[in-house]
Amino acid sequence: MISVEHLSKRYGDTLAVNDLSFEVRPGVVTGFLGPNGSGKSTTMRVIMGLDAPTSGHATIDGQRYRNLKAPLREVGALLDAAAVHPGRTARNHLLALATSNRIPVRRVEEVLEFTGIAAVADKKVGGYSLGMSQRLGIAAALLGDPPVLLFDEPVNGLDPEGIRWIRAFFRALAIEGRTVFVSSHLMSEMAQSADEIIVIGRGRFITQGTVDELTASADGTVLVRSADNVALRRLLETSGTTVDSANDGTMTVRGTSAEAVGTAALAAGIAIFELTPQRASLEEVFMDLTADAVEYASAVESTRHG
Amino acid sequence: MDRVTLASTTHAEWIKFRTVRSTIMGYIVTILLTRGIGALITTAIRGHWRTMNPLDRLTFDPVSTSLGGTLFAQFAVGVIGVLFITSEYSSGSIRTTFAATPRRIQVVVAKLAVLISVTVVVAEVVVFVAFLLGQRIYEGVVPTASLASGAVLRSVILGGVYLTILATLGFGLGLILRQQSAAISVFTSLLLIVPIIVFVLPQSWQDSVTRYEPSSLGHAMMSTTAPLNMFGPWTATLLLLGYVAVVLVAGATLLVRRDA
Repeated sequence: MISVEHLSKRYGDTLAVNDLSFEVRPGVVTGFLGPNGSGKSTTMRVIMGLDAPTSGHATIDGQRYRNLKAPLREVGALLDAAAVHPGRTARNHLLALATSNRIPVRRVEEVLEFTGIAAVADKKVGGYSLGMSQRLGIAAALLGDPPVLLFDEPVNGLDPEGIRWIRAFFRALAIEGRTVFVSSHLMSEMAQSADEIIVIGRGRFITQGTVDELTASADGTVLVRSADNVALRRLLETSGTTVDSANDGTMTVRGTSAEAVGTAALAAGIAIFELTPQRASLEEVFMDLTADAVEYASAVESTRHG
Repeated sequence: MDRVTLASTTHAEWIKFRTVRSTIMGYIVTILLTRGIGALITTAIRGHWRTMNPLDRLTFDPVSTSLGGTLFAQFAVGVIGVLFITSEYSSGSIRTTFAATPRRIQVVVAKLAVLISVTVVVAEVVVFVAFLLGQRIYEGVVPTASLASGAVLRSVILGGVYLTILATLGFGLGLILRQQSAAISVFTSLLLIVPIIVFVLPQSWQDSVTRYEPSSLGHAMMSTTAPLNMFGPWTATLLLLGYVAVVLVAGATLLVRRDA
């Protein structure tokens, strides 16, 4: 379990993380979602004890990272896949890491095999493709067989086959009861790989919930096609909903339910040909949620400059 | 139990140290320069010994001249020290290093232990080889020195110690500056540019300032005949160690406080 409590991190004038609190539970894949520059990487670096928080703190199973006895056996992390000396081979890189935490040398071979880079393990990392570096980073994270795992944008640079592999892999880690914390700026990715999602924007906590909870909390829309769209539209708009017409003879109604639309049409004597309630996609929810954070921030900026 | 210790961190740093080509190349250059330049200098002295002026012959030191290559090799060991830490910053692997060993002081001590043990072995071997080679070249023409003399043995040993201390100076500058080019520039400036700046000072100042320069301290450490206006060999060694200690403490303090 990862706990972040009232965490703030300031770099000079920039408040990268602002009073952020959340918990990441074991047994599920938790997505960490936010636009680029929203403070995801900073939060992960603070969890890993690499950057010191300005205030607040982050703990792993109740302990600060720097107090862990053999950190690689307790937390595995992929923060920046390219962060390996380019002149060193993958095997030697993993060997040095394993040695520092007294991890048996045979684990090096195991993780090389598991991540599919055993064949290139004796080649210098400088010549690796992004996908290969990503696999090496995952190998390093798994080295100590840790119960808690953090991955910062792990899907970047992977080919479609690699992406499928990594999703199944996260799922498997979670089923084994591990804490799996995965950041991404892509909602579509999170929708497919995460059970639970924490959304942040501009360093602030926005919401946390399952994919279903997040999409349910947003206002849905109703797709409707009728014998008299013009009359139905006028009718719906007078009751305070917004209606968009499409060229194919359908209309999208916001701020109401399918029941209300159907009842209104019956009362007006308009025949309904099609009536479909539509849930907001996670992408739309994300846009709605983070729009506030972005607008708030730009408003602050314009006051400062104006 | 299976926890991160200074021993396991040191072992890991040893693996990292020996698995990059720059380390091996650095030591090869150190060996070639110490031996090669030493041979060149001693051969040149042998060549014009008979035409040398009497005063120069009187103050001639067969030990420090045979170890003249260290004045070139010092840059090679300095770069080894610089790269051992700055390559972690340029590649970003410093984060992996600190994730594996969150006690950063432990990382510094482990790296220093590896750097010092390897450098002292290579440097001592190569200064003894350069010394013996130099004496063989001098033999029959120029007065030679023998390791049977305590002062000679001390000078040769301190020659290796000098190179080792300079490797740690490079490492310390790398800790502070975190950037390879900056650290190498400062290292080179301390050894080459500072003496030039001192040279424009009035003569009376020069004499008192020059002997504090790292390269003068090195010269004092390797001389059997105490040169004029210089510290004795042990004082010079302690002073140089003092400089490096200040740099290392500053670097380690910054390393602990700064975000990685």
